[in-house]
Amino acid sequence: MKSYVYLILSVIALTGCSPSATIPTSFTETSDSLAIYPDYRDVTIPPNIAPLNFMVTDAAATEYVVTVGDLVCGAGKDGKIDMDSVAWREVLTEAKGKSLSVNVYAHRASGWVHYSPFTFNVAEEEIDPYLSYRLIEPGYEVYLQLGIYERNLTNFDVKTIYENDREVKSGEGHCINCHQFQNYDTKRMYFHVRENHGGTIVTQGKEAHKIIIKHDSIIASGAYGGWHPTLPLVAFSSNKTAQFFHYHFPEKIEVYDGVSDIILYDAEHNTVRNIFHTSDYFETFPTWSADGTRLFYCVARLPKFEYEQGNYNEYEAKLVMRYDSLLYDLYSLPFDTVTYTFGEPRLEVNASAENRSASVPRVSPDGRYLLYTLARCGQFHLYHKDADLWVKDLTKEYDSEEPSVNSYPLAATNSPDVDSYHAWSSNGRWMVISSRRDDGDFTRTYIAYFDKQGQGHRAFLLPQRDPEYNLLLLKSYNVPELTKNPVQISPEQFKHVISHTDPDLATYQP
Amino acid sequence: MMRWLFTSLFFLLVWLWASWWMGDVMRIAYERSFIAADATLMHWLWQKSFGWLWILGRALLTLYRWPIVGGLFVAVMLTAGSWLIGVCLRLPQRWRWVRYLPSVCWMLWTAKEGLNLFYMNEPGRVLGVPFLVLVVLAMLAGIVGRLYQGGSAHRSGIENKQCSTSKVFTPSMIGRVGGESLLIFLCFSIPAFYLNYRHPYLRPLTKMQVQLLNDDYEGMSRTAHEHASIGCRQMAGYYAVALSRTGHLADQLFDIKLEFDSLHTYGFQGEPNECLNYHVIDCNFFAGLIRAARHYVVEDLTMSGPSLYNLKYMVKISLIEGDWALARKYLHVVRQAPFEGDFIEKYEPMVGHFDRVQADPELAAVIKVLPSYHTLEQMHVKPGFLGYYVDLKEFKTREALEWSTVACLYAKRMPSFLQRCRGYVGSMPPSSIAEGLLIKAYAEPSILQAFPQLELGISRYELFMQDAKPYLDDRERGGEVLFEKYKGYYPYYYLFGNMRSTRKPNDGEQEHNKAGVN
Repeated sequence: MKSYVYLILSVIALTGCSPSATIPTSFTETSDSLAIYPDYRDVTIPPNIAPLNFMVTDAAATEYVVTVGDLVCGAGKDGKIDMDSVAWREVLTEAKGKSLSVNVYAHRASGWVHYSPFTFNVAEEEIDPYLSYRLIEPGYEVYLQLGIYERNLTNFDVKTIYENDREVKSGEGHCINCHQFQNYDTKRMYFHVRENHGGTIVTQGKEAHKIIIKHDSIIASGAYGGWHPTLPLVAFSSNKTAQFFHYHFPEKIEVYDGVSDIILYDAEHNTVRNIFHTSDYFETFPTWSADGTRLFYCVARLPKFEYEQGNYNEYEAKLVMRYDSLLYDLYSLPFDTVTYTFGEPRLEVNASAENRSASVPRVSPDGRYLLYTLARCGQFHLYHKDADLWVKDLTKEYDSEEPSVNSYPLAATNSPDVDSYHAWSSNGRWMVISSRRDDGDFTRTYIAYFDKQGQGHRAFLLPQRDPEYNLLLLKSYNVPELTKNPVQISPEQFKHVISHTDPDLATYQP
Repeated sequence: MMRWLFTSLFFLLVWLWASWWMGDVMRIAYERSFIAADATLMHWLWQKSFGWLWILGRALLTLYRWPIVGGLFVAVMLTAGSWLIGVCLRLPQRWRWVRYLPSVCWMLWTAKEGLNLFYMNEPGRVLGVPFLVLVVLAMLAGIVGRLYQGGSAHRSGIENKQCSTSKVFTPSMIGRVGGESLLIFLCFSIPAFYLNYRHPYLRPLTKMQVQLLNDDYEGMSRTAHEHASIGCRQMAGYYAVALSRTGHLADQLFDIKLEFDSLHTYGFQGEPNECLNYHVIDCNFFAGLIRAARHYVVEDLTMSGPSLYNLKYMVKISLIEGDWALARKYLHVVRQAPFEGDFIEKYEPMVGHFDRVQADPELAAVIKVLPSYHTLEQMHVKPGFLGYYVDLKEFKTREALEWSTVACLYAKRMPSFLQRCRGYVGSMPPSSIAEGLLIKAYAEPSILQAFPQLELGISRYELFMQDAKPYLDDRERGGEVLFEKYKGYYPYYYLFGNMRSTRKPNDGEQEHNKAGVN
């Protein structure tokens, strides 16, 4: 029944665009600044993206006409431009590698006015068609309704990958997070389930099973991780994560690790082993190079302070007070894909030397760029307003004296607010970014073009059929990841595996 | 004629009950609810079991924006329901009272639920379910009407006869009228008494909340004083808010009972829950701890979905923090709800204009007491508004010193209290602080040297100690016996108030839920 209601709502929404809109024959030019949401002015877009619907706000206007190339669309007083998908596709196909002029006309009591036009720069390269993400309230300690979804970027279709329970049920509540795919293919993926029915769900094609990583020598089950691009291996961080709340500070929250290591999980043999098991260093956010021969990760040194050995509460209380001295650098380790052994670590980005902290390293598919976020301290930059995207050109000669020398910020892509968790498209020309630039609290998925010169372009908000959607959505987008194909396992299958199967304990290998 | 008389009596009494007796409760239920025509905003509720019914119930609850209108709707609904039951069951004269039973059961249920009508539970239930029943009854009545259509001529003949005879008031008829009137009257008095027996705090508590919505701080204090003997921790919280705004925190806080007996409420999974966070958002906010308030607002938003209550707080907090874009977003969401134009009109012009935020008396009062130094929520005992002020050591304003000193008194942390009293040397401290000092003055004569004016209170203190002595081994009884004589007197609170040993727990309450003096 609910499907029918949504269908009806969709039909109503579809009728929002006036197909009979015609370009006004007489109008006056206005120098007023154009107010549109989302702000899609002068952005670079993939040729296969869904229509960039937007809302025009002009208090004096009662109707609008918008042209995008040859496409003409109208809107009523609400200013919501809902473009015809077929016409949009045709216009974009024609404009590949060129710019499209966007003209906005507003009908005021005095007649039609025409704003200064802006452009959509249509890139040659397409973006991977599927974007998966988690939707969750920006809550801190509790959760209720959350799910992982898959959006078809070429249109507005959204498919549920998995949703937890819709209401509080004793013994059922579980959190799901950190979904990852192997090399942009959904054949191999994983995501974690916490609390009830806990474990990590690992898929192989159309099969899914639940595993548990637990051993005295491992801090905790896997958290942030990355699939090896070709082998059935996942490098996970293993963390004891906590958070605290500022009473009086520009930022609201700090999420930190009390301890963290990195482990290697072999999905084929269901075995796990430590890569790093250290007490004085916090290693986290492992990710592989495009060819799988290096493992990149973040590492911070434990600040010096006195505490009673074995007294974790005292340790944590003192660590919390030094949270801003937890500065993460980026390192990499060579990996032998035959023997599965690692070599000596190499410093890639010496952020701490500049009193900064780097996190979430991701290597571009061509292996040339290392994309990461840089902020004042810590590794959970989602709560750091100064968090920005940076890249390091890995093809430039390595300088052990100045390892960060080839790093630079993506100035055009960054915003004054949080720009954090990010992923590359499989062709390396697009980045999907978690940003809080809209309102400072709700994370939204932005897409940015990354050109051949290694520069990021202005990012644009993930388009929605109803441009008002993100203004009304009280959830955040988490962990955006691109894939070339859709997830092959149904939510029901995942539900069965999560709720009705026993997990396999991964065998620890010393 | 008789039938209309009873129906009218029933209708009027329901209206009275639903608008006057339960008006404030339902008004707060409305604030803890949210309804909008937008699918994005209602998706979280729509996808729950019976989501459509809860949405319907919430839509009806919006009538309680004005309790008299909401009460009128409830009266119409229950009266129509009772009439339809009569139609469906075709009750004979002497069984006609049966038709009122479902309405009474619903009223009893609302009385039993108390705060659970909306707190940690779906507020759409309270009107959604009876309205659904009404619809079902209407359909059944239609079917019954069709089935018995053939006999209608015969029945109307009988009714005409009854009408003609009803003009003559025989003794038996007068008795029947009296009996049925009494029965209808009992229908209302029983749920009303049951509500006051099970949740005596409910009406004063929600009344104080409504007064807070109207910025009526004097009224909040009055309500608390009128119900001083049934004070609960939640009432105490709102009372403290009122006193902080009227400048009487340090001389009136202990005027009401500050016990924390069970409120007989339950949590999301039906487990006993002591509502400890019920008032925390409000109290944190007015204590200047807007970050802690935000923390709980977001948790509430996550667990209970958007409500006018949590959305409005997000607007106010964002305005104080200067998060203009966020304030704009939450205002946009609130705008989707019906009947909230006043709120939008008041707060929207403040976006981007901190001078206007500071000019608002409510927000200005909060800004005045914002924390002045960097500290973390986790470093203080919960709830924040108490823990923060108990631990506070830097007093940049007189309010901060006073609130901190009173927080120590409330928490009975006398060493911390004495430290803060240094700030009052050379002046006459407010009454509760002076009384707290007296308790310690006997053991530490230097206190009397620092505060010579305390000597005026020694005779009363000695009298109190004489009265208290017989009850030192039975604090519960002492608390009862001495309350009227010593309410508002801090030594009474110190010895008999807010004690774990005298707390009345809920059935099945977990040991770990028993919070001590906080």
